[in-house]
Amino acid sequence: MTRYTYYPGCTLYTKARNLDLCARKAAEKVGFELVEMPSWNCCGAIYNAASDDLAAQVGPLRNLAKASQLGDKLVTLCAACHNVLKRVADRLSQPGNEVERDRLVAFVDEKFDRPVRVLHYLEVLKNEIGWDKVKEKVTKPLAGLKVASYYGCLMVRPKDVLEFDDPENPQVMDDLMRVLGAVPTRFDFKAECCGGYLVVNRRDVAKSASKKILDNAKAWGAEAIVTTCPLCQYNLDKLRVTTDGSIPVFYFTQLLGVAVGLTQDELGLEHNAGDPAGFLKAKGLL
Amino acid sequence: MTISRSPVELLEQIEELSGQTVSDCYQCGCCTSGCPIGEAMDPPPSKAIRLLQLGKASELLDSDGIWMCASCLVCGTRCPRAVDYARIAEACRVLVLRSKQSRVDPDTVTVPELEEIPQQAFIAAFRKSSV
Repeated sequence: MTRYTYYPGCTLYTKARNLDLCARKAAEKVGFELVEMPSWNCCGAIYNAASDDLAAQVGPLRNLAKASQLGDKLVTLCAACHNVLKRVADRLSQPGNEVERDRLVAFVDEKFDRPVRVLHYLEVLKNEIGWDKVKEKVTKPLAGLKVASYYGCLMVRPKDVLEFDDPENPQVMDDLMRVLGAVPTRFDFKAECCGGYLVVNRRDVAKSASKKILDNAKAWGAEAIVTTCPLCQYNLDKLRVTTDGSIPVFYFTQLLGVAVGLTQDELGLEHNAGDPAGFLKAKGLL
Repeated sequence: MTISRSPVELLEQIEELSGQTVSDCYQCGCCTSGCPIGEAMDPPPSKAIRLLQLGKASELLDSDGIWMCASCLVCGTRCPRAVDYARIAEACRVLVLRSKQSRVDPDTVTVPELEEIPQQAFIAAFRKSSV
């Protein structure tokens, strides 16, 4: 079983335990193991684009250095951690930034053994395991469930740095849903911003942005939404911006978990809003 | 606003911190039309860049708009002139924060919010908006 160094990040230890738990269990079912890297620290939650801001690079750089001592790949799951770690790795590998990188490495007092490729869990499934292998592990196909895949901003932009998917019409989660037996719906707002951290001080703005996303998913006939970002999940699911609250918002790992036969306890549905267990039971999936 | 620098100096600093050249923008408005927060952002991206082109950097630094940009990067991805407004907004916020002025006071966060909202949101909001 291939082992990957894994960086969970802070939110996956608390508010998004369901994202983390299913991911680890589903990985074992699919045929790889996530090995949590020791003594990781917060990634900083958001990338700072100011050209002279070295302080914001320290946290992510320390994680990358620690990971480099274990191997040449680092697997992430939270969209924010993925975005920050990948952008900092890219920034420090750019020609002309050697002095900045060497100063930071000296500051955190860690060896930087080799360049580290930051991979999202979805990239592992698609490029390292392969859709055919994932499909072989499906024991409970999702029975034509109509799913809108919501990527948000952090997974797809900036395109040239993340090299993840099309920034306007990404497909990787749609492909995964198809592999699991679901039917990916069309979805115009799949890469639109949910308002992100503005929910802290401008809840009205986050609500308005999230409502447009939910309304569009429903308009295309989606019965459920999947995401990989704890903040998107909160804004879409727990702000309850739609009056009927009729569309559950799952982590993609939860539907992956259903399809590969995880138990209800392993899905962590109690951390989602509404009655996701009831929804899945009504669909014959639980 | 207590940043007492000339408009030329401010523009130079914004361009240096953002790595962007504001004169590259030809005001097509693609950024503003695609901005998911555009309705709530005053000024929206293209108008903000226009203010800089007109030498009104301090007006932009005083605005609400720079704090509404959540760095989703749709504007820069679609810009036909490769101007990244998210980085310009970042540079403006950084200039204000470095003059020791916070936009969001962490002490105003209440316990119910702390119990509900994922911590990544707090860390991001305070890093972007607080000294």
